[in-house]
Amino acid sequence: MEISIKGLNKNYYSEGKTIAALDQVDLIIPANRIFTLLGPSGCGKTTLLRCIVGLEMPDSGEIAIGGEVVFSTEKGIYVPPDRRGLGMVFQTYAIWPHMNVFDNVAYPLQTRNEPKDDIRRKVEKTLHFVQLDGFEKRPATKLSGGQQQRVALARALVAEPKVILFDEPLSNLDAKLREETRKELRAFLTELKITAVYVTHDRIEALSLSDTVAVMKSGRIVEMGTPREIYFDSDRRFVADFIGRANFIEGRVATVGEGETTVDSAIGAIACEKKINASPGAAVTVCIRPEFIRVLKADHNVGRNIFRGKVESLVFVGDAYEGEIRVGETLLIFRIEPTTAVREGEEIALHFDPRHCSILLN
Amino acid sequence: MQKTRMGMTPGLIAIVGFLTVCPVVMLILGSFSEGLNAFGTFTLSKYVKAYTDPAFAEILVNTAIFTIGSAIVSTVLALFLAYLNTRTNIPFKFMFRIISLIPMMVPHILFAVSWVLLLNPSNGMINLFLRQVFGWEGAALSIYTLQGMILVEGLLDLPIAYLVIAPAMSAFDVSLEESSKVCGASNLRTLMRVTLPVLRPAILAAATLVIVRSLASFAVPSVIGMPGRIYVLATHIYRVVATGYVTDYGMAAAVGMSALAASITLIFLYRHLTREGEKYVTISSRGYRPSVIDLKGARYPLFGIVALLSFVLIILPVLVLFYTSVVPYSMVPSAKAFAMMGWKHWIAVLKDPVSLLSLKNSLYLGVGGATLGMILSFFVAYVIVKVRTKASGFLESLSFLSFSFPGIVVGIGFMWFFVQTPLYATIWALLIGYIATYLPYGIRPLTSAFVQIHSNLEESSRVCGGGPLYTMRRIVIPLLVPGIVSGWILMATMFVRELSLSVVLSRPGTEVLAVQILRFAEDGLWGRLSALGIIMIFISTTLVVIASRIGAKLTKVDK
Repeated sequence: MEISIKGLNKNYYSEGKTIAALDQVDLIIPANRIFTLLGPSGCGKTTLLRCIVGLEMPDSGEIAIGGEVVFSTEKGIYVPPDRRGLGMVFQTYAIWPHMNVFDNVAYPLQTRNEPKDDIRRKVEKTLHFVQLDGFEKRPATKLSGGQQQRVALARALVAEPKVILFDEPLSNLDAKLREETRKELRAFLTELKITAVYVTHDRIEALSLSDTVAVMKSGRIVEMGTPREIYFDSDRRFVADFIGRANFIEGRVATVGEGETTVDSAIGAIACEKKINASPGAAVTVCIRPEFIRVLKADHNVGRNIFRGKVESLVFVGDAYEGEIRVGETLLIFRIEPTTAVREGEEIALHFDPRHCSILLN
Repeated sequence: MQKTRMGMTPGLIAIVGFLTVCPVVMLILGSFSEGLNAFGTFTLSKYVKAYTDPAFAEILVNTAIFTIGSAIVSTVLALFLAYLNTRTNIPFKFMFRIISLIPMMVPHILFAVSWVLLLNPSNGMINLFLRQVFGWEGAALSIYTLQGMILVEGLLDLPIAYLVIAPAMSAFDVSLEESSKVCGASNLRTLMRVTLPVLRPAILAAATLVIVRSLASFAVPSVIGMPGRIYVLATHIYRVVATGYVTDYGMAAAVGMSALAASITLIFLYRHLTREGEKYVTISSRGYRPSVIDLKGARYPLFGIVALLSFVLIILPVLVLFYTSVVPYSMVPSAKAFAMMGWKHWIAVLKDPVSLLSLKNSLYLGVGGATLGMILSFFVAYVIVKVRTKASGFLESLSFLSFSFPGIVVGIGFMWFFVQTPLYATIWALLIGYIATYLPYGIRPLTSAFVQIHSNLEESSRVCGGGPLYTMRRIVIPLLVPGIVSGWILMATMFVRELSLSVVLSRPGTEVLAVQILRFAEDGLWGRLSALGIIMIFISTTLVVIASRIGAKLTKVDK
């Protein structure tokens, strides 16, 4: 089900100051896809999620879930969370410690007074789906972090909600488990074909889980697109910086050609194949991610986007070498194959792939 | 909802404020008044009389020796026990939990009495035994000394010191010790040079708390100190209002002022020390496990010491009391003694109208008082935890104020108040006094229960389709039950055994168990005292068992 949000505002007042948690948010969350709200802490992503689910009351605006208006200041509508028919997985999982796994998962059905046999059947089916067969009688607090997480997921899914919401559900797991659970979650959600809204500050989670990513900053949605679009073609420096490590080189547009734009910068002319709506002379920033910098032999000087520099530092991180190259006054970060023969202090040539040089408007 | 919350805070501040501030204000006013019948006529004579008394200096010295001595005894024992429990592989660790729970089992006055029965100079069982077996003349050992008082009070306050030291000990960052060992220091050297200095704030906090408790203690000074003519502040106040020809509540209030001032100062010191301790003690990240020291051959001998302590603290008093209640007069256990056993004292107690009345009153105060106290605590804890405003912060400090007040001093303050009201000499006076004095004990378990209910647990129920009332019934209340039950048990057992406040407020017709036991002790009716004491222990234990059964039924908390 599609969620449409219009002109949503929410302010917090603390010690005489007003903080805009949501600033005039307009958003359409597409149906049956995994939609991620990504942003640094305090950007308003959790507030937006809590407004959708009904735990937070916006100051103004309208929220409709699948065509049904659940909140509107104009029409004076506020549907409480228990009437919205949604499922939610909390950051803390919010597993009730005084109930066993069965009662935790059965709870949404029990609130609807469904027949006992139906409840048993549905709980069994859902627990099977999240691979917790036979866990019904276990006390909820005796489960591991990953298992509690799956109980929370089962509870959110059992009543077959229209929409399922996730508030940073993986942030309490350790790194390895987080990776496994992320893959599982992706598999579950893809199989279910359900509208999922996922809040996270972890870019890898956002990129690997989502069909659509919306990046938020100071209560606004800054940019929205598929993970590839956000990673490769973001228009804003904030987004490009937040979604991954990148080099930013200031410059001015020199020429705008067919399928290629040249930018004059401190390290020389940079050719970029990305499309851009800027005329010559405009101040721009070229963004190049460290993995798209190729290191060549020092005498290599044929072709476009070739620069000379000196390796300032080099760190072996296992699957790659990471380091810094000084080109003139500019320090660039790069990441290369672990087998490459490069040494610290070595003079080298480097090459930017024009297909991966994006231009950000200042 | 928002509005009712707003209205609740001032109401609670008024109630709690009355309960905690009223006795203090009345105490101050009383100390400047001529007497109970002449309240409000200003005079300084009570202070002059109280503090120029030539015996007063000795009382102060006694009080200092008694409180500091008790603090040393219980802190050293608590350190020893906490170290063994948290840091070594001593067997049967459950014993430590039992030791930390004894204050709920044996009332202080009965514990003190059992030592009198064992060690009093004229017919204490151990003295009789020494006389019969070794032919020693006179009293070999006497409990009626300052040393005796310190020993008994120190043992009684051991659980309090343990509860302060043990958590600090287990939160201790073991890597500090490990690095000392890597540097080449032995276990003992590490203990003396690293462990104890780092734990210093916790140790001092425990000692301070014991000083506060022993300053407020009335059972030991009255049962053990008074027969030996050793007076401390609490018994001095008692002597002024309850014995002799002329009672002088003004002078009692004037003396009480210094006890109150000392307690408040010490509690501030205690709070400062606990904050200091939090700065010191580092809690390591996940996967942290304290390293355990292998005691090797010393395991069982050390355990023997712990077992002996538990025996002395729990089993011995009950045994001595029961034995005394069935033998006709003090005698060493022997074939003759067993032949003479009977229920004479039990029958006498059960036929004594005053004892029966005190039983009824204490039961009523225990059950009714704890229930009312918990209702008040519930709302106070709710406001403290869930309504986070300046007013609720004020309520919090207010509700913990009475924690430091010595019962007998609060009693004197309330006396000045109740005399002006029709509540004087009714059971309601005791009820109000009890709740005022023991409110922190009800609030504390409830606040921690409220804190544990993360708002996500409620919110998650709302999202799952549970309405506000449904959420309250299935999530909030079941999660609170353990806190409510443990608070109720704590309050009820404290009310059933309450002595220091009752000794002032109880009047003919409103006798309570502990006061009746004190009367028996003063009259030397040890047999009846023991019978009533066993009944008292039985009531406390029954209350604990019933309340925990009900608690277990109301909630299915799987651990």
